[in-house]
Amino acid sequence: MIDTMRNVVVLGSSGTIGSLIGGLIAQMGIKVYFLSRSLDRAKSGLERAISQARSEVINRNVVCGDYEHLLESVLKEADWVVECVTEDLAIKQKMYEKVDQYKRPDTIVSSTTSSLPLTELSRGRSEEFQRNFLSTHFFNPPGKMLACEIATHPGTDPKVLDRMKDFLERELRRVVIPVNDIAGFAGNRIAFLLFNQITALAEEHGVEMMDYLIGPYTGRLMPPLATLDLVGLDIHKAIMKSLYENTDDEMHASLILSDYINKMTESGCLGNKTPTKGGFYKRLESGESVFYDPATCDYVPAIKPHIAFVEKAKNLIHLGLYRESFEVIREARCKEADIVMDILCTYIAYSYSRIGEVTEQKLGIDGINKVMSFGFNWAAPSLIVGMLGGRKSVIQLLEERELEVSDFLKDGREEVWQIPSAGKYFVAR
Amino acid sequence: MKDKRVYILGGYQTDFARNWSRENKHISAMMREAYLGSFGATEIDPGDIDAAFIGNFAGELYCMQGHLSAFFVDFDRRFVGLPTCRFETACASSAVAALSAMAYIQAGIYNLVCLVGVEQMKTVNAAKGGEFLGTAAWYEREAAGIEFSFPKLFGKLGDEYDRRYGLNDEYLARIAVINYNNARSNPNAQTRNWFMNFEHANTVGKYNTVIGGRIKVTDCSQVTDGAVCLYLASEEFAAKYAEQRHLALGRIPKILGWGHTTAPIEFARKITDSVENEYVLPVTRQAILDAYRRAGLSDCWELDTIETHDCFTTSEYMAIDHFGLTKPGESWKAIEQGVIEMGGKLPINPSGGLIGCGHPVGATGARQLLDAYKQVTGTAGDYQIPGVKKVGTLNIGGTATTNVCFIVGK
Repeated sequence: MIDTMRNVVVLGSSGTIGSLIGGLIAQMGIKVYFLSRSLDRAKSGLERAISQARSEVINRNVVCGDYEHLLESVLKEADWVVECVTEDLAIKQKMYEKVDQYKRPDTIVSSTTSSLPLTELSRGRSEEFQRNFLSTHFFNPPGKMLACEIATHPGTDPKVLDRMKDFLERELRRVVIPVNDIAGFAGNRIAFLLFNQITALAEEHGVEMMDYLIGPYTGRLMPPLATLDLVGLDIHKAIMKSLYENTDDEMHASLILSDYINKMTESGCLGNKTPTKGGFYKRLESGESVFYDPATCDYVPAIKPHIAFVEKAKNLIHLGLYRESFEVIREARCKEADIVMDILCTYIAYSYSRIGEVTEQKLGIDGINKVMSFGFNWAAPSLIVGMLGGRKSVIQLLEERELEVSDFLKDGREEVWQIPSAGKYFVAR
Repeated sequence: MKDKRVYILGGYQTDFARNWSRENKHISAMMREAYLGSFGATEIDPGDIDAAFIGNFAGELYCMQGHLSAFFVDFDRRFVGLPTCRFETACASSAVAALSAMAYIQAGIYNLVCLVGVEQMKTVNAAKGGEFLGTAAWYEREAAGIEFSFPKLFGKLGDEYDRRYGLNDEYLARIAVINYNNARSNPNAQTRNWFMNFEHANTVGKYNTVIGGRIKVTDCSQVTDGAVCLYLASEEFAAKYAEQRHLALGRIPKILGWGHTTAPIEFARKITDSVENEYVLPVTRQAILDAYRRAGLSDCWELDTIETHDCFTTSEYMAIDHFGLTKPGESWKAIEQGVIEMGGKLPINPSGGLIGCGHPVGATGARQLLDAYKQVTGTAGDYQIPGVKKVGTLNIGGTATTNVCFIVGK
């Protein structure tokens, strides 16, 4: 609908998400200022952006600098300021105060937060700032994960939302999902509830067993606890805290963090970012992985689980027989199969129950489908409904487990069978 | 040809960006998905299929699996007993499978043939894959002990153009950029979200290294995994199919012409043989001329678009003059004037071609035919060229050893 951006400022460009978003924008031939606390830090972000583009030529569109020397001057020509600084309300508010002081009246400012309310973030800012302020929540790594949740606050000018949405879709090739300004938006709200449930189950069944049971064959490219190692347990903890404090729903009790996660973060076992200390997984020099044991707070050797129904389901997926693999899961009668079915059913129940709360009601399940597929590489909730035999069958499964059955599931349209193209979400591992 | 028309009823392409080895899937899973997708796209009754022809280059090497045609009968209980066959002519495998399907249909033996092109290549690393691809050349003479033999051989094609007519590599970079740009509109293209611009394609750097001779990374199509399934039908079957769907038969694309030639396998011999010829690869040119003649076309300007075999930028450079867009040796003019771009006088590779869409070797010929079908039926989505009536395709195997050209249209 609109002109493109000519000058973009990335605040917090030394971090992973800031540098990679900045890189995507630079790839479009748009001038991007990579700002950080120091020039060296900004330059390290540029290196990451170059690695993502697999091309050094993008540096022609990038200017690196620090806040002290460059912030004031570049804000005057910025069409869009993308704020990617530390996920801390006070730090962000302080940054916005400076931005408000120097930016052009029509400069769009967006936050990449997914947990801090926009109303709080923009408190005290000018009316112009408020009108041009919204959230653009990218997923990591943005070069591969195309989802972008976009949220506004009551003061956001609808034209700004339209302009941003148009730019994100056309220029940055994002799959844009409008979401409500509520902690975790849609994606993190749903995914992290499940992550947390799986961490709780790991106390009883073990880390390796949980990643084996809820592995890629259940409709995700990565096992869940390996994903948390990638995210970082400090981030997981912060997200759970925010979700617990700022949301209230039928599964609120499932948002409480297990004690052992606190112990892990206190001892510096944060995941992939602390390879020596490890996370849920620790890779030894020999190349073998050992697994965190919540009971002893130590690492234990692999047990290499082998459960008949899991192996059978994987073999069917190996041959492209997706529906048949889920029949095996559904028909299996053992405690491990119950765990898998409980998680799949919770995923469906919780996703459908969030329609209207995290996304607009008129979107139905489509918005949540998109964010789970393009933001997490998980099979969409409606796809899992199809895999488990359709709505009628799934409602029965949910009722058996005393899970909430949303009206959107009861009365919604029967989902179109998305196989074969959705086969990519079911990995034979 | 006029009396025995062969129609294309549509089909399905897998997403060429996927890595089926990472998904830990068997090559037959890819074939199954292509078949199931084609079933959804065309709503053909599986019971109507008379035979299944499979195009595949090197399943034995990449997947330790030959005899791929037999897997087809696993896809539907009714298929047990069905005649099936696998065809191999390197990168032209599925085009030759299509030619064979045509022959059976024109002979009146079959009414409906299901054609599957498939290749799974990401099972091995780039060096090993390069070695396997070397078997599409004369392995002993041209590939044994040579790392990335094919880029080097197609680099020599550029060298020969340079020697005879002069070649500025900037035009090769522009070919790469056009294909990547087109691929951005194709939801099944391997590179649809990759970064590319002229500066990158025209610059040697850490990420755009020289692979062999004048060929850089950006001059190459990328290996990938992919399968395509489509249907070829007799006029009798197509008429019934059209009637059931309340379509005029004239709206269903058909193969208007074809050409199929084979040059000596050794690249150096091709060049020696053509030294007196104004075309660098006259045997490839002949396949195109044969297709024009059979389709009753006087020249390329009766086509609305071309899907050509740009395994390297040099092969598209060759295709431009061999299709007749320019005089021999003047392909650069068509690039310079924007003729081959979307919106140009004769766009080449709206799909992104092999460079942009991806090149799962045995699937490419079928993919080109499916894209031709989409263009003619106006179903190519964001990469649709308005008002397409006729499409030319060129699928080559080896170093333009096997050459297959189709003209598809209404």
